[in-house]
Amino acid sequence: MKTVKYVLFFVIAFCFTLSSQAFGGEKALLFHAGLGQRGALNEVKEIFEKKNPEIKVNFSYKGSGYFIADITRSKQGDLFMPGEEFYLMQAVERGFLTSYNPETDIPAHFVTVIITPAGNPKNIKCIEDFAKPGVRVGLGNPKSCAVGIWHQKTFEKAGIWDKVKKNATLSAKCIPELGNAAQHRAIDGSIVWGTTAVLYLRDVDIIPIEHQYRGIIRLPVGVLKFARYKEEAQQLMDYILSDEGRAIFHKHAYAINSVIPVDKDGFCLDGTTDKDMEYLVNAAKAVKDESFPVNKDTVGALIEEVERQRKTVRAGD
Amino acid sequence: MALISRGRWWPILCVGIAVTILAVYILLVASNWIYLGWHDTVYFFSKSRMWERFWLTVWTSTVSTFFSLFIGIPAGYALSRFRFPCRYAIASVIDLPIVVSPAVVGAFLFGITTRFPFDWISEYYGVYIGRNVYGVLLVQFTVTAAFCARLMKASFDIIPVRFESVSRSLGASPMRTFFKVVLPMAKNGIVASMIVVWARAAAEWEGLMLFVGATEGKTDIMPFAIYLDWNGGMMGWVTSMSIVCILMAVSAISAMRLIGGRSNVW
Amino acid sequence: MSGKKSSRKTFNAVFYSFAGFLFLYSAYLFLSNIDQLFVTKAAIETREITAVWGDDREVLNQFAGGFWKDPYFWKSLNLTVVTTLITTLIAAILGIPTAYALSRYRIPGMSFIETLFSSLIVMPGSVIGICLIVMFNYGPLWKLQNALGFKFAHSLFPGMVIASLVLSFALGLSAWKAAFDSVNPRFEQVARSLGSSRWRAFRTVTFPLAKSGIVAGIILAWTRAMAEFSAVLFFCGTFHELPPSRFSNFTKFMQMDQADWVSVAVWAQVEFGNIEYGFALAFVLVLIGGMSVYVMHRIGAKGFVW
Repeated sequence: MKTVKYVLFFVIAFCFTLSSQAFGGEKALLFHAGLGQRGALNEVKEIFEKKNPEIKVNFSYKGSGYFIADITRSKQGDLFMPGEEFYLMQAVERGFLTSYNPETDIPAHFVTVIITPAGNPKNIKCIEDFAKPGVRVGLGNPKSCAVGIWHQKTFEKAGIWDKVKKNATLSAKCIPELGNAAQHRAIDGSIVWGTTAVLYLRDVDIIPIEHQYRGIIRLPVGVLKFARYKEEAQQLMDYILSDEGRAIFHKHAYAINSVIPVDKDGFCLDGTTDKDMEYLVNAAKAVKDESFPVNKDTVGALIEEVERQRKTVRAGD
Repeated sequence: MALISRGRWWPILCVGIAVTILAVYILLVASNWIYLGWHDTVYFFSKSRMWERFWLTVWTSTVSTFFSLFIGIPAGYALSRFRFPCRYAIASVIDLPIVVSPAVVGAFLFGITTRFPFDWISEYYGVYIGRNVYGVLLVQFTVTAAFCARLMKASFDIIPVRFESVSRSLGASPMRTFFKVVLPMAKNGIVASMIVVWARAAAEWEGLMLFVGATEGKTDIMPFAIYLDWNGGMMGWVTSMSIVCILMAVSAISAMRLIGGRSNVW
Repeated sequence: MSGKKSSRKTFNAVFYSFAGFLFLYSAYLFLSNIDQLFVTKAAIETREITAVWGDDREVLNQFAGGFWKDPYFWKSLNLTVVTTLITTLIAAILGIPTAYALSRYRIPGMSFIETLFSSLIVMPGSVIGICLIVMFNYGPLWKLQNALGFKFAHSLFPGMVIASLVLSFALGLSAWKAAFDSVNPRFEQVARSLGSSRWRAFRTVTFPLAKSGIVAGIILAWTRAMAEFSAVLFFCGTFHELPPSRFSNFTKFMQMDQADWVSVAVWAQVEFGNIEYGFALAFVLVLIGGMSVYVMHRIGAKGFVW
């Protein structure tokens, strides 16, 4: 009987400690963000929490398309950062966002690149190669992830959408799924953001796309109207939009030029992003080849990323 | 010919299949190491991030095992000893959370937290249930409480009822009989089951994916972190963490075998 | 005397209340979600937002997402049931001899083997999925697949069978081994001393005696295969949105094209906001699981964790 009493006492004491911990005074923001932004946002969170110790940031990472359902039903969350302006506009139309200014609320841009497994087994060099019979293509599902919209757009512009659709072997629910599939050689090629490709430098080859098919995707951020801590959420958003915040995004292979000329569909018009693409290709070479020089001229802001992935054979950290 | 006529082929076939399957399973479990390589194994195991997650997994599953035992031991005893109408149907309902897919359990928790006790708590304290570590505990408790009751029932089933009736005929109260006779006799089984329940709690993640969501260092217990890092392309972390999970499962089962209790699933 | 009776009553009441709590919690967990099957305003609004992609909104806005009208549901159910039946069949064909060998013959390193198989039961599904991916996509098996010109990962068949086989075999094995352990080996020895061969002794003596345990193991293996989620998610992915040309004529004939593993479909639909549809699928799984566990209780099956 005695032991039982002790155990009971322990349980009750434990419950109290737990509950006091739970409902203590820190302000926790809930940040809905697309899975593709995970690396950069985790770094932003670390620095932001160090600067503002009383604010904690909790993320809910998913494929961008899943958020509309989540937010409509749960009406929870403070900030919203899907991987495509399209999804944010849906939220704006429903009046979920306090304010959104398309001119200023864009911290960074994604740029589309082709990835293939290391060694490029099917020898994919340009967009048209995806239509070749026998190439296993991974496509995103536009219902759930932002890259799916761009697959359709890009291949429709090249006039090969029907043929590419026949080649599809994988329908991805979020963009890392495409990266994983290329890494494990389940597909022969796909189009993803440069920021996703940079996570797989050791296991994939990166091929820049020619200007007319190179998509520039605006990455928006907004404060939700159900936010419990509006001021803190605004503070975090301002930090993301500051130069310091943008620099973090640049380290993860986002394009942060404030003006990138694009046509009405969002395809690139000139060589503003060429330099970034060159850095990305060099970074892929540098990780695979130890003798490749790594400095500001060859890989630009991607130095940290390259050094991180050079440390181990399998990506981590 | 002699082989066939005397039926000697049968044991050879049996042992052959057993050895082949064993080889496949060992390859399956060891493939992570082969993929990761020695240099990377040392690198990832010396990182603090690995051990932070390890401790998170250990303490969450320990706490939820504790709650499960608190409910599971008496419930298992009741299921094992008492006879009541619709016994099988009721036992089946209790078992549902372990037999349906854990993703389904996660979906159902997603719905239940907007209802009576939970919506009240979340409103009163202003916390999102399910977006923090308490969501993790709730998911683990839901799955392991049923599992625990099931294992406990099996442990109590092994103990003959005679001992209890003898103890009671000598004048001990039922409560005293339970604590002085039944529990000590079932001790090995209970400890063994406790370890299995702990390992099961540490392995739960599908519910988290639907119901809790990811916060770096707060809700990503190890199996869930595997899914998250898999989506970040960090194969090094993924494989090294799955090695830790495999070691956790194997050492839990070895500990159970060392204790020597039996714990039956059904 | 009356004191004794009342103490008995309190004792029973305490223990019943714990079991009752578990029962009510479980029942509440499943029953309280029934109203998720009814379409809410929020769900209709969500579908208006995502209408761009041309779901059949008329059907989806019905009770439970109108799942019985959707060929995707029937194809998925068909796919899952057929695949799990194949899985169980393979598990039984391989597992019963293995269990017999492990139970009867002295194999070196026995405790190691048992630890390996029982630890699989408490291993996270995500680990199994990662192990499968790494095993099949690297090393000798990858070369073998290249030589065959056929990939196991991300395939409907045999990818799904492999993914669900790993755990269902491990769980079935424990039950079959327990069944053979409970049969006294003396019976078999007597049969053999009377002149019957080893195979005949197994077939006519041990097998009939262990029958109920073997049936229980088969049900257990099938239930586990139905409950599989993460290994399939990691190893196979989803197939719903793939074009029809990706599927062979055989899968089309079997009505398995453009279908998903049911529990994966639950996840995908709930995440995407078709909550009613996802919960309808989930309730189908609950019904199947509840029925098989009820049968298992009636048989009074015993399967040890190791």
